[in-house]
Amino acid sequence: MLKYALQRIAYMILVFFIITLMCFVLIRMLPLPALAPNDPHAEIISIRREAMGYNKPYLVQFGIFLKNIFTNFDWGYSEQLYTGRLVTEVFAEKLPATMIVNLYSIIWTIPVGITLGIVAALKKNTWVDYTISTLTMVVISVPSFVYAFLVQYFFCYKLSWFPFVMKSGTDYFSWDMFVSMVPAILSLGFSVVAGFCRTTRAELTEVLTSDFMLLARTKGLTKFQATVRHAMRNCFVVILPGIFGEFIGILGGSLIIEQIFSIPGVGALTLNAINARDYNLFMLSTCFYTAIGLAAGLVVDISYGFIDPRIRVGSKK
Amino acid sequence: MNSTLKRIVAMLLALCMMGAMLASCDNSNEGEDTTASDGTGTSTGDETDDPSANVVQFDSDATYTYNTYTSSLSPNWNVHDYEDSTASDTFEYLIDGFYQFAFNDELHPMDDETRESYDGYVIIPSMAVGDPVDVTEEVKAEHPEWFPEDAESGYAYAITLRDDLYFDTGYHITAETYVTSAQYLLDPDLQNYRSTDVYSGSYGIVGAKAYFMQGSVDYIDNGEEGIQISDMVAGDDGQYTYTGVLAGADNAEVEGAKVYIAVGYALDTWLSGYTLQDYVESYGDAYFGLDTWDELLALVDENGLVPATDYNLTLLSGVTTTNANWGETDDDLYNYLVIAYEWEDDVDFSTVGIYALDEYTIVEVFGASVSGFTLYYNALQDSLILIEPDVYESCIAVDESGTTYSSYMTSVETSPSYGPYSMTEYQTDKMIHYSQNPYWYGWNDYENQVYVDPEDGLTYHTYMTTDIDIQVVTESTTAKQMFLSGELITYSMQTDDYDEYGFSEYLYASPSAVIYFLLLTGDMSGLQAREAASDFDTTKYDLETITVTSFRKAMAVAFDRQAFCDEAAPAQTPGLGIISDTNIYDADTAAFYRDSEPAMQALCDFYGVDVSEFDSLEDAVATITGYDVEQAKELFTAAYEEALELGYITDEDGDGMSDQEIVMQYASTATTDTLTKRIEWMNSTLATATEGTPFEGKISIEIKADYSGSEWAYALKDGSADICLCGWSGSALDPYSLMQAYTWPSYSYAANWYDTTTDMLTLTIDGTEITMSVYNWVEAMNGVSSADEDGNMWNFGEGQTSQENRLIILAGVEGKLLQTYTYIPFTTAGSKFLLSQKVYYVVEEYNPIMGRGGIMYLKYNYSDEEWDAYVAEQGGTLQY
Repeated sequence: MLKYALQRIAYMILVFFIITLMCFVLIRMLPLPALAPNDPHAEIISIRREAMGYNKPYLVQFGIFLKNIFTNFDWGYSEQLYTGRLVTEVFAEKLPATMIVNLYSIIWTIPVGITLGIVAALKKNTWVDYTISTLTMVVISVPSFVYAFLVQYFFCYKLSWFPFVMKSGTDYFSWDMFVSMVPAILSLGFSVVAGFCRTTRAELTEVLTSDFMLLARTKGLTKFQATVRHAMRNCFVVILPGIFGEFIGILGGSLIIEQIFSIPGVGALTLNAINARDYNLFMLSTCFYTAIGLAAGLVVDISYGFIDPRIRVGSKK
Repeated sequence: MNSTLKRIVAMLLALCMMGAMLASCDNSNEGEDTTASDGTGTSTGDETDDPSANVVQFDSDATYTYNTYTSSLSPNWNVHDYEDSTASDTFEYLIDGFYQFAFNDELHPMDDETRESYDGYVIIPSMAVGDPVDVTEEVKAEHPEWFPEDAESGYAYAITLRDDLYFDTGYHITAETYVTSAQYLLDPDLQNYRSTDVYSGSYGIVGAKAYFMQGSVDYIDNGEEGIQISDMVAGDDGQYTYTGVLAGADNAEVEGAKVYIAVGYALDTWLSGYTLQDYVESYGDAYFGLDTWDELLALVDENGLVPATDYNLTLLSGVTTTNANWGETDDDLYNYLVIAYEWEDDVDFSTVGIYALDEYTIVEVFGASVSGFTLYYNALQDSLILIEPDVYESCIAVDESGTTYSSYMTSVETSPSYGPYSMTEYQTDKMIHYSQNPYWYGWNDYENQVYVDPEDGLTYHTYMTTDIDIQVVTESTTAKQMFLSGELITYSMQTDDYDEYGFSEYLYASPSAVIYFLLLTGDMSGLQAREAASDFDTTKYDLETITVTSFRKAMAVAFDRQAFCDEAAPAQTPGLGIISDTNIYDADTAAFYRDSEPAMQALCDFYGVDVSEFDSLEDAVATITGYDVEQAKELFTAAYEEALELGYITDEDGDGMSDQEIVMQYASTATTDTLTKRIEWMNSTLATATEGTPFEGKISIEIKADYSGSEWAYALKDGSADICLCGWSGSALDPYSLMQAYTWPSYSYAANWYDTTTDMLTLTIDGTEITMSVYNWVEAMNGVSSADEDGNMWNFGEGQTSQENRLIILAGVEGKLLQTYTYIPFTTAGSKFLLSQKVYYVVEEYNPIMGRGGIMYLKYNYSDEEWDAYVAEQGGTLQY
């Protein structure tokens, strides 16, 4: 198992390196934003660009890029949005807001989604199942920013239950802050709930009709006991990796959500960096999302082994 | 017992008196008492010596928060290197000036007694005490090196400061603080971007540039100097040199200064801050001759310069004069030159014309004579922002490359305030919060920081707002819902909102100085070139008719501008001239150009209104709409006949209808819903205007949106496109220089077909009839001596002649330009917004300088607490 894990980590680093190289070259191929006449920062930006190896071959530039990261963790300075500030500093300042919103979102979506899936599976082919399944399909088909507008309109505007935008400040674990994040958490979560619900229902439906479930019942277990002890455990082989997978999915969805609810996070930062052609910032956020995605994949793969002892790739028999 | 009670009462009274004495002795800057409010307020009205006695006192316990929103915040508002208005908006509440603009009222009347209260503005002291005193003679006696020999007045001024000025850190502001602040700004090591605010232009402080630039080589833009090549001498190496005075080097006498061609060096005057290389690389052979370009480019040094030799100038000429579209001759070459000037090293700050005369008096010496409005507006405004020395020193650091930099005003902690509000919170890309600065002198100023409310006649203190909260909200739907829920004070109207709120009593319009005109190309060669293209079917289409005057006149009267604004551009208002309603021709009297007789007469002449049929010029102008569909039909018919005669169009079947369609290409960078809607409206209107004419169904506009940047403008200039709704922006206080946008070839859209240097205009100035080219009239009224047709030189710049004479010239030029039918006035730009029921403006009419008073005059109907209760009472959603 350890060998397998190490192998996967090595592969992950390789893939990360390749993706980073591709992104780097593609970004460096883009035309640089022209420095406005009389821009007070033009000279220093030019010097920094020179130091980053612009006008040199792409591979040399990439070498300088890697060297700066490994020696100083220097991802460069922001040229357009936060002129003169280190992009890592800007990114670190904004990361907590994104992480906290996404974590809250995951926290409520997992139990709700799985519970709805279980209910639908247990009530298969009843009106309960039909209702849940239909809603799941509807919800999964609509992008999360649509929910954002709906949540904002009904819960913030019509019902005045929540603030329109996220509270300012960095007291991320205060009650006021939590309340102000609820609309964003809900908006991000709907499609995730639907996803978990659908997966759980599908898996559980299949497991419930398995022979070993019949055996469990004949052993004298109640339906509840059989479901929880045997069916659910089997289902989690699929569901648990899905949880990690959804985390990266939510991070992607938060790009637009952050704009709508004025969340000062990395999602909005990434969009702004693209629009403003702030390449250093864009490169950092691209690498961040890539790393998150790869790490999620790695955790998913490794988690299989823990959840289901039969799946232990690389282990000695 | 009785006597004991008396003693207690006596002691209490004595304590009270002592307390009162102590309070009166307290030189407190914590003026909270003066800032509180109760919405309606109560006047104390006692006849006492207390200056606050007649001022309405607000409830000291209430808070009045101005909640607003923005789509983005500046991450940096360093006053020494900020670049845009987003940054300056961030610190605008933290600073103050010597003087301020205020509405004219009973307390601050205008000199012009005919003006009603709130009809104009006055300039009153803010941090200064009294008016600036001209001390030119006294200072000249001590520092003759700062003045021209003939200087007698207007160069040096002494300004006395109040003695109760403080930063919110408690730092006491004196005259020395100003001097120190200037020294920080001009620090040669820091090379602060905003240093130009103090040293550049005619009203720069003498010696400031020499101090700032010390030890460096400066390349003086010869486009600004205007030195002809014939006045330069070629040295032994062939490179031209210049000997003489350089205005851009503080009028220094130079000898043998080397001259260079600026190829990769930005030229502010001739190329609007861009380099020749930028232009050539962007537009290539469409505008330039490229045969000599590579050779010239190969000579460029690390500064983007090429030595100016005869041969190299020939190379330059090959680039800039051989393509007719760029339209320059060898006479223009001097504009591409720069003159190298080496600034002296080791310059002491005592050579800069700013110093403290005593603790509270500061002396400033300017590079040119200045007085009146210009003195207050240009020279004494808050261009020199004060620096809190203790905080500043703690913000100076040196980076790893050895470069000195300052982090002053980059965070709440490093942003000391000496204005009415202090920054109390800031979160990047999220919000800013300001609270009243208790150290601000204004809370205790009952002379200048008070005004008489035009409605109730009571006297109030300015700045009723206690807090300002700015949130980043990028989605307009979110902002709208927040506004309707009472969380925002204003909401910027979106196109979709006009149906619902277009007639709201809370809807306000803020016009701008920008006029949008319908620009019709007149470049016949460009149009003919397009017609000659193989894919252009001349039997079905025609473009040349666009140049026919009757056609252009017809286009001018074919559109109902009010209907256009109502249906396709709700934030705009109809525009009738090429100078906006908000432009002021005389800043001293705040007189609006459009309200003046010459300006009104110019409109009547252009739209053919017979003034004699009306009681007054105002009545005549009031009838002008710019729309006459019947006249448009007549003019389209006349255009048809003229175009037929000129052979532009045909009528082969003899049905009296044009065989050709005129499909005008509208130049744009993108096809947006708004633009599509506007073009659809125009096409529908043209269909109506051509109905029953030989052009019925034959004239239309289509969008051509494949231009990037400002290529669309060049396309109109050279006839590659036909039509566009565009305009020029400029200062509302300076319509004179705005006219240069129409006459300078580098700016003018019509340069290819309308030569302002040969179109003559005759005007009567002070009883003398003068005939000059339009170009020269515009130059003359902007202070450049220009020749009339007889060779007499005239200068009608500010201070050279009366404002009335300048007004006559301005109106004459506007009328002349309108008659070209190149610029068809269409709309005035502006913005519209809803104002919350929580607040109100003391004045409804928009004033180009004062707006509606801004935060300074904003009044509150409700305190924050009352407002929350009111919104809840309304069910959480307000009706507008």
